[in-house]
Amino acid sequence: MPIRIEAGRVRTGHARMRRAGLALAGLLLAGVAGPALAGKANDTLVYASDSEPENLSPYHNNLREGVILARNVWDTLIDRDPKTGAHRPMLATAWTWVDPVTLDLTIREGVTFHNGDPLTPEDVAFTFNYVLTPEAKIVTKGNVDWMKSTEVTGPHSVRIHLKAPFPAALEYLSGPTPILPAAYFRRVGLDGFSKAPVGTGPYRIVSVESGKRVRMVRNDTYWPGSPIGKATIGKLEFRIIPDADSRMAELMTGGVDWIWRVPADQAEQLKADPTLTVLSAETMRVGYLQFDVAGRAQATSPLKDVRVRQAISYAIDRKAMVDNLARGGARVMNAVCFIEQFGCTEEGVPTYAYDPAKARALLKEAGYGNGFDIDLSAYRERDYAEAVIGYLRAVGIRAKLNYLRYAAFRDALRAGKTSIGYQTWGSFSINDVSAFTGIYFRGGEEDLARDPAVIADLQAGDTSTDPALRKAKYRQALTRIAAEAYALPMFSYPSNYAFSADLAFTAQTDEVPRFYAASWKK
Amino acid sequence: MTVRPASLPSAQAEIALPPARSPAAIALRRGLSHGGFLIGAGIVGLVVLTALAAPLVAPHDPYAQDVSRRLIPPIWHAKGSVEHLLGTDKLGRDYLSRLIYGSQISLLIGLSAALISGAIGTTLGVLAGYYGGRVDAVVSYVVTTRLALPVVLVALAMASLVGGSLKVVVLVLGFLLWDRFAVVTRAATRQVRAQDFVAAAKAAGFSPVRILAQEILPNILNALIVVATLEMAHAILLEAALSFLGLGVQPPLPSWGLMIAEGKPYMFFQPWVITIPGVALLILVLGINLLGDGVRDITAPEGRH
Repeated sequence: MPIRIEAGRVRTGHARMRRAGLALAGLLLAGVAGPALAGKANDTLVYASDSEPENLSPYHNNLREGVILARNVWDTLIDRDPKTGAHRPMLATAWTWVDPVTLDLTIREGVTFHNGDPLTPEDVAFTFNYVLTPEAKIVTKGNVDWMKSTEVTGPHSVRIHLKAPFPAALEYLSGPTPILPAAYFRRVGLDGFSKAPVGTGPYRIVSVESGKRVRMVRNDTYWPGSPIGKATIGKLEFRIIPDADSRMAELMTGGVDWIWRVPADQAEQLKADPTLTVLSAETMRVGYLQFDVAGRAQATSPLKDVRVRQAISYAIDRKAMVDNLARGGARVMNAVCFIEQFGCTEEGVPTYAYDPAKARALLKEAGYGNGFDIDLSAYRERDYAEAVIGYLRAVGIRAKLNYLRYAAFRDALRAGKTSIGYQTWGSFSINDVSAFTGIYFRGGEEDLARDPAVIADLQAGDTSTDPALRKAKYRQALTRIAAEAYALPMFSYPSNYAFSADLAFTAQTDEVPRFYAASWKK
Repeated sequence: MTVRPASLPSAQAEIALPPARSPAAIALRRGLSHGGFLIGAGIVGLVVLTALAAPLVAPHDPYAQDVSRRLIPPIWHAKGSVEHLLGTDKLGRDYLSRLIYGSQISLLIGLSAALISGAIGTTLGVLAGYYGGRVDAVVSYVVTTRLALPVVLVALAMASLVGGSLKVVVLVLGFLLWDRFAVVTRAATRQVRAQDFVAAAKAAGFSPVRILAQEILPNILNALIVVATLEMAHAILLEAALSFLGLGVQPPLPSWGLMIAEGKPYMFFQPWVITIPGVALLILVLGINLLGDGVRDITAPEGRH
């Protein structure tokens, strides 16, 4: 928003003029409020992204921006080393499996929340028991519904009871399950908490301006010995700038220091700017087309016919999209998961290579020789969705694009109002297939296929402690999903980061920028 | 009662101007010496021709994408290619073909919106101007109400409620842009109504419908044409704005406004993507406005050049 930069300049550069009584400038400044200056000189790292989490409570949104805040503001019981994948003690100093459905954890002493409350086992038990209640209305139930209950067993210990054996438990405890402050949360409620969130993490949230920004400062009393270490940069600010071009313009004019999801074309060009660093990396995010198999959006939906779904799968040249549109380390996926997740495999899974002739033949066989009209919803990377529409058009399928915000997209999909949904999923950065395929095909709200065979296989895989059996069950499920073409996996997404050349920043494949580990170059 | 009152003024004109020329011939002569009119007519004529002959003139299928040949610059660039004279867009579709097919959409929207709003506005305006009194008060009230509605805002709200599509855009614009028609026809009708030939027609016992259709309308047609061209240009611009905001024509239809929107991310480094449809839009709207201006000048009684 260039106006804001302008106003900022008026404020710093022409203070005299302002005193002279520039009422209009004064009004503008009132809207700006406070020193919003980014950069090394102010020890403020301003990062911008397109979407705002509907609720800042980490359990009440499923947006990547929310995950980023969660990782920088809250701590989890266990930490997962992004390099080695090893689980390291975080808020829990030790853990032991009593049996496959009982996990004992020792809670660290000397950790305090941002509001001064000490961390106790009660906080852990409260967090997990609260999010399991239906009244909590958390967004991604799959992240926690493997737990049955959590009890405090001593001054520094808790015990988690599982519903069934769940081998990926530690993976979940080191990602989407941050610990909330029980006393504070009870006092302010969810609404109050989302306006003034409190955690134990390396950054502390100081102000939340809905639709605009979230301001954070370094937690100077962060507990020593944390595997992720204390933050280096003093102030962190999350700015919501929905428009990609405005984000880029802000970066180039120094209004923000860090942006991501820069389209490959622009990333290429930004490399020419010596004041910026551009980084391209593959992420765990995988895009896929989800089909309205049950015909909920349209009773006579052509998508109910497996041949039509297969035709769509053959019609799209995913390889060309990866090579020309996504680039930067993206890979074509053939199973609905990220290939490096535990249990994700393409072995024996039917694949659909680009073959428009075959697509047309299948459509004809299904009785749609003249094609049909259908709606396609998407919420990000509009270019990819338009390319898919172009490919469908080439075989006679006339798709109309419905481009929505994520919350609207998700709700329409859950309500069965979407024929083809262009989904993407980053698995909450959990390195286990249950966090991807499980969410969309185990009979949950976003499962458009609800195939009992797939559900049974996924449940068997999720609850078995035998890794070989798990892999076999997942392979079976993924094979069936692909054979029935319930969904068409597209490709893994690269993320192009562009940030100030003053900033030392490393990207991880799990798509969680760790700003606490960033620093200014000397 | 066989005298046609409308022919009375022209009969007088014949007496006043010895070298007999038909009004059409006079208009043609004036038109040929009117620069703005010629340029406007040339531009509009060319665009209409290309739009009509789109399948013949477009070098490629405007929907055929080839992502391996995306963002090729236009021919005047060093990296341009003869195969794609205006280059290709972000999905490798031929830009010239999309531009040509896009002109169909612009013209379609401009014409249909002008027709719908013209029908509404003229009906209201003529009725108010002819009957005056209570009818006039009611119509004036409706016009004032309509003028109080910000067009873009209402169009945006409607499009986001119903969902953007070609049909929605045409209807919304058609139902929003009739105010100028109403105001202009009302004033023109009031003037014409006071003329003798209208009084004569009344005295001859013609029905109001016949008077309105045969005496009034032909005499306010010039003003109507000018307003229609203005509103056409207005509708085309509004369509572009709506499509630019994502609430107008939906992809993959090649609307110029949509093409401008799609070119926005490339503004910094591949400016031609946004410039080409922008310039096309500018030229078309300029052409329509020049044409409208010209028509007014040519048909104006005082005979301006």
